[in-house]
Amino acid sequence: MSTLGYGWKQGLKNIWQNRLFSLAAIGTIATCLFMFGLFYVLISNFRNMVYSAESNVGLTVFFKEGISERQIAFIGEEIKACEDVEEVKYISAEEAWENFKKEMYAEDDEIEDTFGEDNPLANSASYEVYLKDVSNQNGIIHLIEKIEGVRKVNGSSVVANGLSRFNMLVTYVSVTVIVLLLLISVFLIHTAVATGIRVRSNEISIMKYIGATDMFVSLPFVVEGMVIGVIGATIPLVILRMLYERLIAFILSHFSVISRWLTFVPLTEEFRVLIPVSLLVGAGIGFVGSMVSVRKHIRRADA
Amino acid sequence: MNENTSLIRLKGVGVRYQTGTEALKDIDLEVKKGEFVFMVGSSGSGKSTFIKTLLGEVKASSGKIAVAGYPLDKMKRKKLPFYRRKLGVVFQEFRLLNDRNIFENVALSQRVIGVSKERMKKNVHAMLEMVGLADKEKAYPMELSGGEQQRVAIARAMVNRPEILLADEPTGNLDPENSWEIMKLLEQMNRLGTTVIVVTHNDDIVNRMKKRVVTVQKGKIVSDRDRGGYGQ
Repeated sequence: MSTLGYGWKQGLKNIWQNRLFSLAAIGTIATCLFMFGLFYVLISNFRNMVYSAESNVGLTVFFKEGISERQIAFIGEEIKACEDVEEVKYISAEEAWENFKKEMYAEDDEIEDTFGEDNPLANSASYEVYLKDVSNQNGIIHLIEKIEGVRKVNGSSVVANGLSRFNMLVTYVSVTVIVLLLLISVFLIHTAVATGIRVRSNEISIMKYIGATDMFVSLPFVVEGMVIGVIGATIPLVILRMLYERLIAFILSHFSVISRWLTFVPLTEEFRVLIPVSLLVGAGIGFVGSMVSVRKHIRRADA
Repeated sequence: MNENTSLIRLKGVGVRYQTGTEALKDIDLEVKKGEFVFMVGSSGSGKSTFIKTLLGEVKASSGKIAVAGYPLDKMKRKKLPFYRRKLGVVFQEFRLLNDRNIFENVALSQRVIGVSKERMKKNVHAMLEMVGLADKEKAYPMELSGGEQQRVAIARAMVNRPEILLADEPTGNLDPENSWEIMKLLEQMNRLGTTVIVVTHNDDIVNRMKKRVVTVQKGKIVSDRDRGGYGQ
């Protein structure tokens, strides 16, 4: 039997023989990776919602008086050519006045009597510009202001900066929490594998006396750690898979008032990232945790 | 390597532990291929340190050591497993794996050096036959007597046909009858060409075997006699 085959078989046997330690290690990894998955899902959904909100934060570009339609079209093309621009929408003076009336005087019939056919916003045709990333809003404003024929650019920098800063804050907090969870997982699997190794320290020292290489001694423990890690990663994936759509359905049905702001990431998109990342992280912390423990014992057996 | 070649050579070897204890002092010793050597001495005389030094477990603080072509005093750690494959080791407390049967315990030595399954089966059967335990392959260590467990340990040490067999108090846990049986087995291994070094307290056995006896006291070799006796 090859060394690899022996390591694999012995690793699985170790898991079964130390089933209590194995269960404890699987439990701790599953808990940590469930938290990791939960945070990931929360972050990705939050970012998705912030992104939709950002997409609705636009700039308004006004033109100089007496500008021709051809020049307006040219300005539109120039804006579209900017890298961070997502969408450009033309709002005529008539549309602007209609929108204004709807927003400001929705319940006031007298407005028609006051203004009649006059359009106080006659010179207020504009482009509404939506950005890919609102954090670049000021830069884009400067660029557009330089285009010939542009009179003024209105931005909502307070909203844009606020959203952008909040998004950054959420990202930092999330990354910190995820890194901490991963470190805790490595520590826990290291402790679990180390306990199992201590039980088998006699075996390690015998193997070293009969001329086993470090790889031969480590392999069963590394297989054990990685299998525990992968099982520990699979459990939270199954739980999250079962919870995700039910939770969204629950939120949308019970919080219908805010549901129009809640744009959730589809399940398939979420798990396209979560499955490989969780399995890799599970196997990775199993590998690192067991390697750290077994190396320490091998050195001790040599000394 | 012919029979007159030194398989083990120590020149001015000293071992000082980190605590400051000087366990071996200025040891000069040569052991030729095929020799059977007893190392005797009282507790704390340095016998165990000597075995540990030959195993590469303890590094000499001074002097030169060459064993089976490996210069232990300057050998890199990564070469240690390959050096140890030249040795077989037997301990007083047998050190078998209690969760594996006798076949698996002996086969472990073969697995470590990557012997094929078929060859391993053949070698392990042959070795167990040699130590008289062919019918106990499927038994577990705890089901065997002390003497039988030590035979398994010898089979594990010998199955890879090492050049040197180191036995650290191999009869320490056995009654006189079993002790003698184990010694006869070690002598049999020696007749097959393996150089045997036995560290022991058992004066009766040393006196009956009439082999080379090296006596150590306070870390120094105080006598080295062919066909000697205990304490002579």
